[in-house]
Amino acid sequence: MSTDPFDAALDLLRRLNPKDTAVNVTRLCDLVPSLTEDLLESVDVPLAVKRDRKTGREFLCCDYNRDGDSWRSPWSNEFEPPLEDGETDSVMPSEKVRKMEIKANEAFDVYRELYFEGGISSVYFWDIDDGFAGCVLLKKSVSPSAKSSGSWDSIHVFEAQDRARRAHYKLTSTVILNLGSSSDNLGGMDLSGNMVRQVEQDMPVEDDSSHVANVGKLVEDMEGKMRNLLQEVYFGKAKDVVGDLRSIAPLSERNRDQAAHREMISGMSK
Amino acid sequence: MSSSANALAAFVEAAPPGELSNVTSAIKTLANESALKTLEPAYKKYNEDQLTTVKLPGASQSVLVSEHNSLDGDRYYDVESSSSFAFDHATQKASDTQSYVLESSHSDTVKSILKALKTHTDEHFQTSTLGVFPTASDSKIAILIVANKYSPNNFWNGRWRSKYIYDPSSNSLTGSIAVDVHYYEDGNVRLITNKDVTASASSSAADVVKGIAAAERKYQEELNRGFTGLSEGAFKGLRRQLPVTRQKMEWEKVSSYRVGQDIGGAGRR
Repeated sequence: MSTDPFDAALDLLRRLNPKDTAVNVTRLCDLVPSLTEDLLESVDVPLAVKRDRKTGREFLCCDYNRDGDSWRSPWSNEFEPPLEDGETDSVMPSEKVRKMEIKANEAFDVYRELYFEGGISSVYFWDIDDGFAGCVLLKKSVSPSAKSSGSWDSIHVFEAQDRARRAHYKLTSTVILNLGSSSDNLGGMDLSGNMVRQVEQDMPVEDDSSHVANVGKLVEDMEGKMRNLLQEVYFGKAKDVVGDLRSIAPLSERNRDQAAHREMISGMSK
Repeated sequence: MSSSANALAAFVEAAPPGELSNVTSAIKTLANESALKTLEPAYKKYNEDQLTTVKLPGASQSVLVSEHNSLDGDRYYDVESSSSFAFDHATQKASDTQSYVLESSHSDTVKSILKALKTHTDEHFQTSTLGVFPTASDSKIAILIVANKYSPNNFWNGRWRSKYIYDPSSNSLTGSIAVDVHYYEDGNVRLITNKDVTASASSSAADVVKGIAAAERKYQEELNRGFTGLSEGAFKGLRRQLPVTRQKMEWEKVSSYRVGQDIGGAGRR
């Protein structure tokens, strides 16, 4: 049993309805104000969207591009809404890291179109000792019919530590996948949640553009794996549990079939 | 009620199947004693809504707790064992079993529905707990089914609940079916469904149960189609498994993708 309040809060958020995570984080912060900073930093919620007034393009908001109530756009490098005194308290990326950030936004814009065929992407980088860190954000919503809808938010946070002609990458990825359907025959069906995975890897680095390609490949592999995992859990596991709770076929029939099957197998092995 | 008490009550009422004790221990770490004392109504609401099951002292069969079998105080009764019991809502434990004889103009109907229902549920639920009770005014009959399957070692838990009201004067059956599944290994995934159902049933207990069986079968088939619909529809429309080219992206040649394609147009709408 956990007695650390932060662990207890995370345990609670892992149990309560994932669709209510944002409101439950607010409740927890009101309840234990000292947890606010840690919770906002470590709990992922669906990404908010803002429009960059300079370029007209939409971008995604998270704790890493935030300064108070403003968020930095990756397209113009300016805050939306503009910071009141025109100056930022936030540490802006160094010129070298901002150059990589621009390249990464271009690359993930292509990635977004190839895999999501729509949606929004944003990439933010910042400087750390011995390297740099960043987050790659992707968001898409669909409503294929009036009766069903879905949304995908992926949040990839990484650190890249420079070593001789190589870099060590540490990636934590969260995908928030919310799906819902409703109709007269079905009633309401909500299948929502999030999954988190981590990976660490050494990759060769020639110059700064290698970093963008390396992070790209890591995120691409991770999202591919996570998409399969989500498919398994949402449409395999959840459906199986419903079948475990209630069997459409009468159990006596099912047991009879299983017994006949066992008999056939043992007959064949004789 | 203070906002912190409201928050705690919301946590209790949203506890996933089989995880109320985990939610409680987390809450105990986060809140002070005085806030915890206000939670009794939330626990009661949770247990009655969720049809919490409990084994009576010395008994092997489970009984359920609902608004329909509640007596004065925190006591509830069970028809099959003709007993009543005290129920602690926070710890979900039963005690102080006493004999209890149902007094209702529908006693015989209640018992025959219970018997017919058990035959049905034994065929479709590996484990389930039933309740059939006259409603408060004794004009109608509440029929309740709950099936739980908990596998915390594998990080999943599930619950199926059916609640019906049978009106003997009009032979009508109305109710709802709700499924709740929680999966929480390296994440938190939840299936929550709810369906209102109506069926007609003639006056025999067998017919009432036949109406329930047909409604549940139809719903479960519809729910299975719902999984397929979401998988083939919304899920596929969100992210492709591979780009149209069936090749992974060539990250070293990002600029080549820009030639002859309006990539990024969707983001600039």
